[in-house]
Amino acid sequence: MNLTFPHQETWLHRVNPAHKLIVSALLFLVVLLTHNPNVMITLTIAALLPLLFFSGHPPLRLLLYASPFLLLFVSSATGMMMFGTGETLWFQYGFIRITEESFYRGLHLGFRSLQVAAVGLTFALTTRPVALFYSLMQQLRLPPRYAYSFLAAFNMLPLLAEEFVTLRQALQIRGRRPRGIRGWYERLRMYAIPLLAQCIRRAHRTAAAMEAKRFSSGSGQRTYFYQYSLSAADAWYAIYILLSSLLAWQLGQLWSLIPVSDVR
Amino acid sequence: MSAIPRPVAAMASRLRLKYPGDEAPLLFRDLDVTIHQGEKVLLLGPSGCGKSTLLQVLGGLMPSIVPIPLKAEQLVVPERSGYVFQDPDAQFCMPYADEEIAFALENRGVPREEIPGLISRCLDEAGLQLDNAHTAIATMSQGMKQRLAVASMLAVEPDTLLLDEPTALLDEEGTTQVWDALRNIWSRRTVIIVEHKIELIARDMDRVLLFAPDGSIEADGPPEQIFRDCRSQLQQYGIWYPGFWDDYAQGKKPLGSFASAGHAAAASNACAAPPAPLLELDGFAGLRGRQIKVRAERLRVFPGDWIALTGANGAGKSTLLLAIMRLVRSEGKLHLCGVPERRLRKPRQAAEHAAYCFQNPEFQLVTDSVSAELDYSLPETLQGSERTGRVQQLMDHFSLNGLGLRHPYQLSMGQKRRLSVASAMARGQRLLLLDEPTFGLDAAGTVSMMEQLEELRRDGCAILMITHDPELVSRFATRHWRIVDGEVREEHGQAPAEAPFQAFPTQSIPELVPLAKGAATR
Repeated sequence: MNLTFPHQETWLHRVNPAHKLIVSALLFLVVLLTHNPNVMITLTIAALLPLLFFSGHPPLRLLLYASPFLLLFVSSATGMMMFGTGETLWFQYGFIRITEESFYRGLHLGFRSLQVAAVGLTFALTTRPVALFYSLMQQLRLPPRYAYSFLAAFNMLPLLAEEFVTLRQALQIRGRRPRGIRGWYERLRMYAIPLLAQCIRRAHRTAAAMEAKRFSSGSGQRTYFYQYSLSAADAWYAIYILLSSLLAWQLGQLWSLIPVSDVR
Repeated sequence: MSAIPRPVAAMASRLRLKYPGDEAPLLFRDLDVTIHQGEKVLLLGPSGCGKSTLLQVLGGLMPSIVPIPLKAEQLVVPERSGYVFQDPDAQFCMPYADEEIAFALENRGVPREEIPGLISRCLDEAGLQLDNAHTAIATMSQGMKQRLAVASMLAVEPDTLLLDEPTALLDEEGTTQVWDALRNIWSRRTVIIVEHKIELIARDMDRVLLFAPDGSIEADGPPEQIFRDCRSQLQQYGIWYPGFWDDYAQGKKPLGSFASAGHAAAASNACAAPPAPLLELDGFAGLRGRQIKVRAERLRVFPGDWIALTGANGAGKSTLLLAIMRLVRSEGKLHLCGVPERRLRKPRQAAEHAAYCFQNPEFQLVTDSVSAELDYSLPETLQGSERTGRVQQLMDHFSLNGLGLRHPYQLSMGQKRRLSVASAMARGQRLLLLDEPTFGLDAAGTVSMMEQLEELRRDGCAILMITHDPELVSRFATRHWRIVDGEVREEHGQAPAEAPFQAFPTQSIPELVPLAKGAATR
């Protein structure tokens, strides 16, 4: 989630995480029900703007984070374009068969994945896991045992990465790199078993340490170090999403960049 | 025990307990323990005798929170117990120091307004000075993490402190800091400690309980009495006690025959004749990222050298070894057994000439059994009976006999270490690099590891070993390299010129007992 690179705090960081999660999920529903590529393009632009300007991370780093999603955009778009079905043939070469319908459908799909990725990345870059789970406990009544378990698991990720590096070094020294499909399975096993063994032990110890701090045997009446509630930032966020979606729908009807209004 | 009857802090009578599983043996058979309020009690015993489990029972964690098959006539646990555990990386569920302490306060239901004030009070009491309480735990040293564990234990306002080897994984500096912090807070509290490295705290204890391997209480009394009267048991069980190394040095006896054929044969296909250096460093630097982390101007390692590599945490000790093994980037000149660095591009090529053992042996063990593990490391050119013969030879040589079919994870820590050294050296390398080979070992494990290494050294191998333990530096190493300000320097005058253990028993601790008994009554 919030990677520990230095970044600036923006108003998006102040949006209540649970609120942000719900609004983002609703927006996802809207996107699922959008079949007009013109609307989709505007929705995508609307999703990219906050990522670019209000994530608090410098543009180059954003490009790095977004690179897998850009790849997803290209691959899902071209895949649908070249191998999808359609009537009006534009181009054919062997298996590749681009039709008008598949082209627009591909474009639509590409923008859809880009939009979902942009919203998700914005969420991840502007939300600390601790804030998310505190807010889920406070606003959505998530039971604390799940919330703190998730947070403890987040804590283990960097250790896991460190152990992975050590393990790779150890295996490099042991030489003999198994090859082929069997070798692939061998290597998976060589990595998975020590890492899993460490994780299980560490999880057990962490659980004991949490219980020793009276996690489940405490007073029963939890208080919270961080208190999350709704604020003006939440209103702004909701208004932005609502207005941009309405605008996208309106613009999509009035002004068509693409001569197709339904890709189904 | 105390003459004045004091209120009981924790008590178990006729305690029976076992780990889950049908064939698991009983850990305790009708054990009786009573701890009075305000007492400082040290639980001593060999690895696996159930001390840590007992600590969890006496603190009330077992069986009410961690279920375990347990039966007891009577069980009294403290009203509010606080724990510090061994592993600094498995104590915390939150990413920042203040949030971690807040977690304990939240559990108690402390009102939100009072939390920030209590956080700084807990940090102060634990002797952890942070510029900002909102410090990422991942950026803290292991010693700081353990003091944070002390601080978050204080947040539950404990009347009884249960300390489960809180310094086992720390360097010397961290160990001192943690015990200082604990000593400051424990005056009016009951304290029960499980710990192996007891030099620093033995005199603070009111009572020591010595456990036998079967989980029964062998002795119970003030520390002076236990350490005076129970030396033979302490030695037999492989437990550290103040003055252990002096007794050990007393116990060394002239050596008749030294089984050295094993490794000499294994080493036959290795590098050149003895006088040539096994490792040469000239203006060599190990890099982390693009930064030079550690430099060595001109250093040579010859067969028969045992070099202790010391330096503060993060000084670059591991980086130096990793750079020699070509696992991190380096600059300057390196020769391994005469082979220059340009012909040692890959770690695999370096591993032909030098063996490397990581701190955690589990990462180096890749197969399902001890014998398969050793077989895996042998050169592919070796076939048939020669191969199985070599595996057997290695098992003999590293005291792994009879464990051939065991899964490596089922071995004891000491056995795992020896297996990782054995498999690292299976190709007959004569330079051995070790990252803290005695970390987390008890006295018996440490002694047998050191004796194993001494044997290798006498066979003409060279050992370069990272350690934090000054006793090992002065008692075993023939040379001492120290890293100061990123520069590796040879320390002179500390280690004797002559190898310190010309005469040394090959057997580990049990063999030592009769001799040391004599020493105790001298």
